[in-house]
Amino acid sequence: MIRPVLLILFLWLPVAAFPGHRMDMDSMVMNENPTRLPQGCAGIAGDRTITVRAGRKYAKPFPGVVFAYDQRSWEVPPCTRLTVRFINEDHIRHQFMVHGLPPDLYPMGMFTIEVSGPGEETASFILPPYKKTYLVHCDIAQHTEHGMKAQLKVAGGDGDLASLPGLTKPVRPDRYPTRWTGRSLLLLALALVTGAALVWLGRWLIRAMTEDQP
Amino acid sequence: MKWLRLSAYLAGIGCSLLAAWWLFPGKTTEAGVTAPPSQKWIPSLSETEEFCRFDHPEWRRAQTIEGVEIAADPECRPDNPYLIAAVVKGTNRVTMPTLMKTRLAMDAVVKENDRDGDGDPDVIHIRLEVGELNGSTPDGDFLIPGYRIAPGLTPGLWVFVPKMRGMATVDAVNLDAAPLLRAPSPPIRVEQGDTVYLTLENTHYLPHTIHLHGVDHPYRQADGQGNDGVPITSEKPLLPGERRTYIIRPRRAGTMLYHCHVQTDKHMLMGLQGLFIVEENRPDNWLQTFNVGGGKVRHPSRAVREKYAQEYDLHYQSLDKERYRPIQEYNDPRLVAKGMNRDYDITDNEEDFFLLNGRAFPYTLRDSLIVVEPEQKILLRVVNGHPHTLALHLHGHKATAIAADGVPLAQPVTRDVHALAPAQRLDLVLDTHDDGLHSFGQGIWLMHDHAEKSVTSDGVGPGGDIGLVVYRQYLGDDGIPKLQGMDLTPFFNLGMFQRQIPLWARSDAWEIFSDTGPLPPDTLRVILSGISLGLALGLTWACWRRWRQPS
Repeated sequence: MIRPVLLILFLWLPVAAFPGHRMDMDSMVMNENPTRLPQGCAGIAGDRTITVRAGRKYAKPFPGVVFAYDQRSWEVPPCTRLTVRFINEDHIRHQFMVHGLPPDLYPMGMFTIEVSGPGEETASFILPPYKKTYLVHCDIAQHTEHGMKAQLKVAGGDGDLASLPGLTKPVRPDRYPTRWTGRSLLLLALALVTGAALVWLGRWLIRAMTEDQP
Repeated sequence: MKWLRLSAYLAGIGCSLLAAWWLFPGKTTEAGVTAPPSQKWIPSLSETEEFCRFDHPEWRRAQTIEGVEIAADPECRPDNPYLIAAVVKGTNRVTMPTLMKTRLAMDAVVKENDRDGDGDPDVIHIRLEVGELNGSTPDGDFLIPGYRIAPGLTPGLWVFVPKMRGMATVDAVNLDAAPLLRAPSPPIRVEQGDTVYLTLENTHYLPHTIHLHGVDHPYRQADGQGNDGVPITSEKPLLPGERRTYIIRPRRAGTMLYHCHVQTDKHMLMGLQGLFIVEENRPDNWLQTFNVGGGKVRHPSRAVREKYAQEYDLHYQSLDKERYRPIQEYNDPRLVAKGMNRDYDITDNEEDFFLLNGRAFPYTLRDSLIVVEPEQKILLRVVNGHPHTLALHLHGHKATAIAADGVPLAQPVTRDVHALAPAQRLDLVLDTHDDGLHSFGQGIWLMHDHAEKSVTSDGVGPGGDIGLVVYRQYLGDDGIPKLQGMDLTPFFNLGMFQRQIPLWARSDAWEIFSDTGPLPPDTLRVILSGISLGLALGLTWACWRRWRQPS
């Protein structure tokens, strides 16, 4: 009798110690929350499922980017229960990590799916009611910096995040060597002629105003 | 006539100006009999860290976690004992609450299959990732994940890391690297005869491989895949997002090395190098597969415990500002690759930072102390990761080299400076018997590379790879050595290694070595240069008047 009870206790204790957390060899989910409503939500406004693919191949359209998601921006209505099906197509870890959520429901304000290699994991969380843009990224060292970054807008969001591949500019863009093209040289020549013409115009106006009237 | 006068005036003006310029007091003035007084300047030490601030003092004591005996480590910042339990038992065998205290992935160290029935697993799967420390970000002027080798010093580094889970940073607010993500690349321990599957998961944005330097391994695997990690001979570099497994069954025990063999003058010296130790086969020999951060091995192998009271891993390495500059200046990997592979020239550059177990002095005093008791024999496994010869010197002791590059020496060598060629390993025995040869008695004894630039950080010293051998009675319960030398507070200031804090700012001698006050300019020079300038102005005025008069 005692052995089944102990076995149940042994299996249940880690779950009780880390609610919303599950982990195995292939994946990990932190702060899953399919039921508890954020403050200000009277109920779940609706269910939405997104499929997010992560891998090196999704960076190819963007020069200088190494890792990326297949999409970099999503919009959902307030109080949506969002189910994320996260598919990792690389042979290393990638994460779908959301920041800025209410810390009373999501410790450190985070919701995370991590997939250890090729494979997928699905988990849900409920978004708060207010207008906000949430950072979504992979927090493996330098993955965000090299392109695995996206945004999740609730109620239209409160702006766009920087450095989203193909969507927004970096805060600190790199500098590259300058090379003049035929078009830029033509623009320069036109600007010079315009400047000279303005001087000539000014001198002509002064002379016209100071000449003695007949 | 008018032109002649004008020429004379101009010559006069020129000579006067020349004299004024020559006689004018310069930027420095020679002191007379008395030197100027000291400036009454006390350097601000407001941004100073505590010597030892650590949230887990309970980690220092000897303990048993999940049946794994973990030796005491009384220094300031010992290794996480739960991490040790997890890598000894295997991340597949340890319980979830213990694993949750480590940030290791569940498949980081998988141990299974006791083939010979001697009580320990013989098939070991080890998974490594590649992490960048202090790299650039397109999102602002900061480095991520942050890793300080000493107060205020954040050089760019690459490291092999045990496969992690979760964030690379401490948390979403603190952008410092997570504790597992640190230098040096972790020492790895396997048992002689084990089948080891060493998987590299290339989480970095550039290509890498693993070369098992000195470890018994076949050139190719059964399926023909290269197993030597060398891009110009055995295999193609592993691209970002890919993984490759190296398979070995080492027949000989010894202290070896693993490192990336892609562009070794850059990748290996950026930090992709670590100790790889093959331990002698013994029954019931559960090994500490990773010794994260090097230093004390808190769960040594059976063979080591038979002969020695303690075991330490000492990894010396150095960093060049010019080599890591591209990863802090650029985000675009094409610019990084060009900066490193085509712009950087190792033959034109010198190393700037010198590390012992991933840190420079004074941080080495927090987690790289060798804490000893009298009458012990201690095994030190040393690797020289510098591109220059390491001249390892211990104060107060003459250590004995018993093996080099994993091969026992026919004639052990006892001396106080041990030379290690680049990539060389030495097994040293530190004997604390106070016999006037092996030990001169108890105390706090310095240990450092005697190539003197190595005891500086970017030329500011003392810094670099200075470590200490501390006898237990000289170590406080808080992990701080009972030093009786100069006040080390300025070394924990963020400005120290930026050359903003004078070396002896807190010493009794500060009044002597304080910055000097100014001197007034030399009086004679002031008078003569003033007269010359006045002459020039007068001549100019006269010349102008003359020029305007009708001839």
